[in-house]
Amino acid sequence: MKVTFLVVCMASFFAVSLSADEKSSHTLFDIKNKTFLEDNCQRCHNAKKKKGKFRVDNLSYKIDSNLTAASWQKILDSLNSNEMPPEDEDQPDGNKKADFLDALANTMVKARKSLSSQNGVITMRRLNRREYSNSLRELLGVEINVMELPGDTSPGGFDTVGSNLFMSSNQIEQYLSLGKEALVEAFIWKNSQNVKKKLRFEAEKLSEKYKKYIAKIIDAKARAERWKAGVEAAMAKPENKAIMVKLKKEFKHDSKIRRQWAQIKGAPAPEDFGFNTKENNSDKANSALRPYYLEYFQHYMTLPNIDRGAYLTIPTVHPSVLPTGYLEFQKPHSWPAGNYIVRIKAGADQKAPKDRRLLEFGVNAAHGKVMSTHEVTAPLDNPQVIEIPITFTRKHTSHQSRQVFFREKASDYYLSNPRRVFNKAKKENKLGLEYVLWVDWMEIERLPNTHIVAPGIEALEVPLDNKAKNIDQKALRRSFENFSQIAFRGEKAPKEFIDRLMNIYAEQRENKSKHVDALQYTLSIVLASPMFIYISEPSEDKKARALTGEELATRLAFFLWGAPADKQLTQLGKSGELFKSKVLKSETKRLLDDPRSSDFVHSFSYQWLGLDRLAFFEADVKKFLKFDDSVKVNAKREIYETISYTLRNNLSLKNLLKSDYVIINNVMANFYGIPGVNSDEFIKVPVPEDSPRGGLLGMSAIHLMGGNGDESNPVERGVWVLKKLLNDPPPPAPANVPLITRLANKALTTREKVTMHQELPQCKSCHRKIDPIGFGLENFDAVGQWRTENSYHPLGKNGKRDKKRVKKWTIDSSGALHKGPSFKDYFELRDIIASKADAFSHGFSQSLVEYALGRPSGISDEMLIEKMVKGSKSHAMRDMIHILVSSKTFKTK
Amino acid sequence: MNRRRFLQAGSAFVALPYFETFAAKQEKTTTPPKRMMFLAFGWGVTQQEWYPDQEDIGKDYKLPEMLKPLAKNKQDFTLIQNLWNKHSDGGHWGSTQWLTGANRYAQPGVSFSNSISVDQVAAEQFGMHTRFNSIQLNGSEKNVHASGHGPGLSLAWDKRGKPVGGQNSPFEAYHKLFSKGKTSIDELKKQLADKRSVLDVVLTNAKSLKRELGKVDKAKLEEYFSGIRDIELRLAKEEKWFDVPRPQASVDEPPKEIQGKNEIALMYDIMVAAIQTDSTRVLTYRQPVRTLLTSIGVTVHQHDMSHYHYSNNPKCEASKKRDLAQSELLNGMINKLKSTKDFDGSSLFDNTTVVYGSNLRYGHLLDNCPTIIAGGGSGVRMGEHMVMPKDTSLCNLWLTLLQGSGVKAESFSDSTGTLDEIKA
Repeated sequence: MKVTFLVVCMASFFAVSLSADEKSSHTLFDIKNKTFLEDNCQRCHNAKKKKGKFRVDNLSYKIDSNLTAASWQKILDSLNSNEMPPEDEDQPDGNKKADFLDALANTMVKARKSLSSQNGVITMRRLNRREYSNSLRELLGVEINVMELPGDTSPGGFDTVGSNLFMSSNQIEQYLSLGKEALVEAFIWKNSQNVKKKLRFEAEKLSEKYKKYIAKIIDAKARAERWKAGVEAAMAKPENKAIMVKLKKEFKHDSKIRRQWAQIKGAPAPEDFGFNTKENNSDKANSALRPYYLEYFQHYMTLPNIDRGAYLTIPTVHPSVLPTGYLEFQKPHSWPAGNYIVRIKAGADQKAPKDRRLLEFGVNAAHGKVMSTHEVTAPLDNPQVIEIPITFTRKHTSHQSRQVFFREKASDYYLSNPRRVFNKAKKENKLGLEYVLWVDWMEIERLPNTHIVAPGIEALEVPLDNKAKNIDQKALRRSFENFSQIAFRGEKAPKEFIDRLMNIYAEQRENKSKHVDALQYTLSIVLASPMFIYISEPSEDKKARALTGEELATRLAFFLWGAPADKQLTQLGKSGELFKSKVLKSETKRLLDDPRSSDFVHSFSYQWLGLDRLAFFEADVKKFLKFDDSVKVNAKREIYETISYTLRNNLSLKNLLKSDYVIINNVMANFYGIPGVNSDEFIKVPVPEDSPRGGLLGMSAIHLMGGNGDESNPVERGVWVLKKLLNDPPPPAPANVPLITRLANKALTTREKVTMHQELPQCKSCHRKIDPIGFGLENFDAVGQWRTENSYHPLGKNGKRDKKRVKKWTIDSSGALHKGPSFKDYFELRDIIASKADAFSHGFSQSLVEYALGRPSGISDEMLIEKMVKGSKSHAMRDMIHILVSSKTFKTK
Repeated sequence: MNRRRFLQAGSAFVALPYFETFAAKQEKTTTPPKRMMFLAFGWGVTQQEWYPDQEDIGKDYKLPEMLKPLAKNKQDFTLIQNLWNKHSDGGHWGSTQWLTGANRYAQPGVSFSNSISVDQVAAEQFGMHTRFNSIQLNGSEKNVHASGHGPGLSLAWDKRGKPVGGQNSPFEAYHKLFSKGKTSIDELKKQLADKRSVLDVVLTNAKSLKRELGKVDKAKLEEYFSGIRDIELRLAKEEKWFDVPRPQASVDEPPKEIQGKNEIALMYDIMVAAIQTDSTRVLTYRQPVRTLLTSIGVTVHQHDMSHYHYSNNPKCEASKKRDLAQSELLNGMINKLKSTKDFDGSSLFDNTTVVYGSNLRYGHLLDNCPTIIAGGGSGVRMGEHMVMPKDTSLCNLWLTLLQGSGVKAESFSDSTGTLDEIKA
């Protein structure tokens, strides 16, 4: 049993029990609010009348049960929906109603939280999707797609909170099939660990295609001209006089008349000139007369070095005809799954603007998203080699999923509106978009993976192929034992379990399964077993106990890596060394410094800051030309990279509210207009005091979340700031509040429209807090670019924008926090927010506790949270993690 | 999707007879069985043009603009106003509590809980006669939140209030229902035995884990045991149905990748095929909304769409387009059910209850949930606009439909009785 491993000498230190007040958690609604009910409700809802069987005179202001909460919820709901007081009764004063609703709604949030508190009890939980995937990686050395499992981010909680992580029969079956998939993948990696492959693709193939294509359109043009001459000759004949009068009346353009060639006696058919398609061939001939891009393509042929490489430009004609917009090649089908390196040798015209000297890399040229963006710093005559690592799994079999592509950093807008881009450039230089990027070749190499650690595979003492005639049963049994023990995070599998695995294997072999299939089949059962799927810390009920060393190691590893402990950490846990504060601190540091901590940075930041909204909608690329695919990818990364930087350097959380630097790369620097950044990787770049950048509020992605991709949404932004930065979350938007439609489709500024929210007391109670903050951020457009003006076009009766009624205004970002200081612009607002680092730090700590312990944070955690806020040197991020990890709470089940 | 193929799939229904083979397993009866279908959308409707005037009740009500695509079938559906789930409070949860009526705070110590959904109550009784107790279908989009449905794996919640998963595309649904493996019965039996031995192994493991746990954790692990039990029950059922060949599907295999309006239309085809072949009698479908919008050329953000505030703006236009597309799809479903024969010569429509709606009306409004009932399965009067007293429980409707379909139920969730006034 697990408990026997408990380090006895430590037990006395951590003998804990739940204190009494935790058990009776309750929330008080300030008794002074009684007046409002007495004035507005009590005349009917009293002991005598009991109208609607509801009384307000005997309500408990101590909300300690769901029943009491339900009564107060009823009051909140009926006030919000204007159901009460009834229309024909006196209505409460608007401000008093707003204040009452404000107080009650916030109390209800607290009450719901405390009523759903687990009083510090951590429920045993299963691995969430992320941890499951990471655990497979740690065990087998491979990563597979686990997206079919539920995402586990629950309403309002972290994906580590056990009580919200359910199990279903679907999932058990998914574990079986995904486990098998991971094993198959791992066997392939192991069996091909020495395979080295390399292949180069010369780019000049594209130039050859250009050459052929140009010849083709010149030939087509010549044929079309001969056809045109033939048709025109026929038109001139006297016998066609009548029909020509008719056609000229009917059609304005010559090409349209030629389209009617069949009606003109003696006119030749386009088919006779080689236009033989299934469509209308006169259309084909007509369009061959004016090859739109011919000059532009002919210019390509005059560029230097096209015989040794190729230039990239925008996608002009259909890629199946001539792929001008990208260069691609396929990873050969027969090459096994594994780690690969893709290389490209390229140079860029140094005269071109910086934003055009970037290459986008991805998989699946037609539909694939940008995976990374790379600046070509080398000149055309001295190209550089860029290397990009990529993993191909055995699932990457289709043509598209093996197709690697490079293209010029080109927005969706480029891709869907090439002609507009081309014409704009042509107006300026009479030619079309300049050719800026030259590519010599591309290369793909499969790397041997002998260094990859896969303890689960190492544990197998039987052959991993079907060559052996007999399988040593003892070795097989040891294999199952070792594999299970590693999968179960050090816990030995019961003998009965191993016996059954042996039986399963034998049964499979009897059924004519080959050794490898039978082995994988049997091992996949281990990966669907509760001892793998659940992180358990066995204990008796309601009695908190200190964790064992191994449990502490596991908890720490899942907190900071989202993955099981490695050998060193497991060993320190087993020996009890981990309980020494020095050791615990150095292990925490080691884990944070390990690249695996990126899982913590990503999943914690994602949930803490509510970044799921980023996936809610797409930015309008027509409106925001600069917000292309590359910027989108990197804008999101900026948040993670900044938090990662803060954590790596143990910087103060204050820097996330305001800083004199940004963590960006070349793509974001170009987007923000910050000069001198050439790095593809994110680096620290100083910004001047008057820059709106620096801190979360200066980030594109944060503002993208606070809008709809088209226009900013001050309410969303205000709510986000209150929730995430000021730790003063407004209650959720109440259901059933009446609508305000009075100002329908009027030409109003955003501020005028949003201020309508404050007309009704039930809206005002929250919006007076929310809206001013949103207005203060109005200088950021929907993709986070700085602006000083904005406009609104109401719709006309035809449903289209009414140009006559356009409303333009200069953005006024001044305001005042509700019952707080006033600010004249964004910069002052940012300073006010930055001055509230304690609140920010408090919210961060609360989230961290929930995430780390896998349960909602409750009143019992307040002391620890206070310690994290106050005890860290100026809210230094790592210090806060150390305080949490070394706390009694963290070491207690 | 290939339009031609889609049309073929749609028209194939009319010609096909009821499949006698499947009646074999069925209880001997001369009357066709009752079926129930629940179709839910998130993000509500364009309220001012979706609901008829509350004064204009009865058979001769004026069909609102958003329901015009249903005009030819006006006699074959009934719209009921003023129903709601009083406990629901998720402003963006279009379907989490729609069929359950649960109070998310009912269980102390957790911030969310749910209870059994009405379809699962029906499935408990109808399920014994068919290959599948019930079928749960979902939109194929990855981001469920984009369709405004709220938490859950489908519309269905089991008797423990845990989410029930389902098939997430017409392709998956088709294969679940109609896929004919080439495996022989002997092989199938062997596979079944294999699956059972696998379950035995994980069960051993679960039991050894359980021995060390406290009460709370044991309760958590109980979910795993229930999961295993569910699989076992399903396997037992599979075994019972081994000797009955899979029915011939009256639809073609759908393409793997299809989204939006065509996806919903195809899913409707498959749902009709499922009851036509008596593969199941209870189906739910959590419809995609975001991809529907994309497929009809709407780029407005879905959440904005449901907060259009007033008419004549792009958000409201988007909302209307969505309503019209959904009405058109529902109309197609009614047509298909009407034109498909049941085994006694009546139409499937006569024996089926189609419930179409959402827990969300508009914005964050959760009262007067959009509710349309079509079909003769549960004895509701058709062709009418009915207005219930304000804030009538949706669960009363669910109970009425259950009883009307022959399910023995005294009450459901927070029901206070049945809606006798809607019965024929």
